[in-house]
Amino acid sequence: MRPEEELTSAAATGNTERVKHLLQSGVNGNGVNGFQRTPLQVMMMGSTPVARLLLEHGAVPNVRDCSTGTTPLHDAARTGYLETVRLLVEFHADSQATDNNNCRPVDLAQLNGHQEVVDFLLSI
Amino acid sequence: MGCQSAYAYQAMAQEVQYEPVAQIGGGAYGTVYKARDRESGQFVALKSVRVQTDQDGLPLSTVREVALLKRLEQFDHPNIVKLMDVCASPRTDQETKVTLVFEHVDQDLKTYLEKAPAPGLPAHTIRDLMKQLVNGLEFLHSHRVVHRDLKPENILVTSRGQVKLADFGLARMYSCHMALTPVVVTLWYRSPEVLLQSTYATPVDIWSTGCIFAEMFRRKPLFCGESEADQLGKIFEVIGLPSEEDWPADVTLKRHNFSPQKPLPFPDHVPEICSKGEDLLKKMLSFDPLRRISALNALHHDYMKEED
Ligand SMILES: Nc1ncnc2c1ncn2[C@@H]1O[C@H](COP(=O)(O)OP(=O)(O)OP(=O)(O)O)[C@@H](O)[C@H]1O
Repeated sequence: MRPEEELTSAAATGNTERVKHLLQSGVNGNGVNGFQRTPLQVMMMGSTPVARLLLEHGAVPNVRDCSTGTTPLHDAARTGYLETVRLLVEFHADSQATDNNNCRPVDLAQLNGHQEVVDFLLSI
Repeated sequence: MGCQSAYAYQAMAQEVQYEPVAQIGGGAYGTVYKARDRESGQFVALKSVRVQTDQDGLPLSTVREVALLKRLEQFDHPNIVKLMDVCASPRTDQETKVTLVFEHVDQDLKTYLEKAPAPGLPAHTIRDLMKQLVNGLEFLHSHRVVHRDLKPENILVTSRGQVKLADFGLARMYSCHMALTPVVVTLWYRSPEVLLQSTYATPVDIWSTGCIFAEMFRRKPLFCGESEADQLGKIFEVIGLPSEEDWPADVTLKRHNFSPQKPLPFPDHVPEICSKGEDLLKKMLSFDPLRRISALNALHHDYMKEED
């Protein structure tokens, strides 16, 4: 398996140890897998440790999904994982980014009833 | 035939609707992808299995298994991952790809435990997780579904703290392939009867649940064996070596292969557990599957009733 493929899969399954090991052995944190997605785009959104490792290794937070325009902040907000939302924002994720339906992360949090995430995103 | 082509059409529609973004699992039997539902924008888990077909189409066992999953779905159980769609796409005359579309949950119990700040999860959180986990299990068992591979990676936890069991019900579809190809699977949550290759049923899931219960306190696995014999050895260090009468007949690993051990008090391994919790854990980690507590009784155990 290509190392980029391994890193995206490790991120998607929330395998912190594996992500750490791959990043430390020099795998590109912004490399794409066979589906043209970066690790941050496919990571297990609830895994703040994985998100932190990726961001600290220079993963770019403002990448848009090639078919829906979704950013990782949209996904973290929609699924309601507040700690990951905070972390992405701390690493300069654009809270005003819009997806192809013209929704911002806060709209998706609202739509899915994640009030804490809504409050946080409105407070910044 | 009509049914087959209707399925094929559906399968094409499905390939347009669900776009894979990463592989999250896979073995000899097929592959699991995290994918995006283009319609809703949400993630889904796509699970595909290759099955052998003949002139009659899909094997009856597969048809039955899918029917069972669909029947379970009708109950809309809060602690079971939702099955959203099923599709079959013929690949060749002899092979069909069956794809199951599940709701995707972006956190598993492994991650949840890893994130818990020191000194670990509060007692009331552990109780709440256990109630939900056993509730989901009781539902599966009451429909005669054995999960068989319960572990922190396939116990999912939503951002609202809702527990959902994943990866159940395809046991038979998978097992025919697994017998042919050695896949590396974790032994840590395996019950003694599975490790000894004796007969087994729903109690295997209770054993796994016991291991996971202990892990919620410890924040690390209870028994980390490296082989079947090593795993059993680690288990006996804690629960003691079972008596000769309890040892199953017709198994290759014999009791005399293990050194005599007295059971150790659970709190040595599971710090902070309350006495009712300890009692439940003991009943879950009973060597004899017939004496192991059932999911239904576990749900009504005093530990579950305690107020925090
Ligand atoms: N509905 C779901 N939502 C999110 N993740 C899921 C879902 N279903 C399965 N998964 C994840 O996909 C991973 C792989 O699934 P699966 O267990 O079938 O494949 P595997 O790699 O063969 O592992 P296993 O040893 O469990 O058989 C699991 O770790 C599980 O966490």
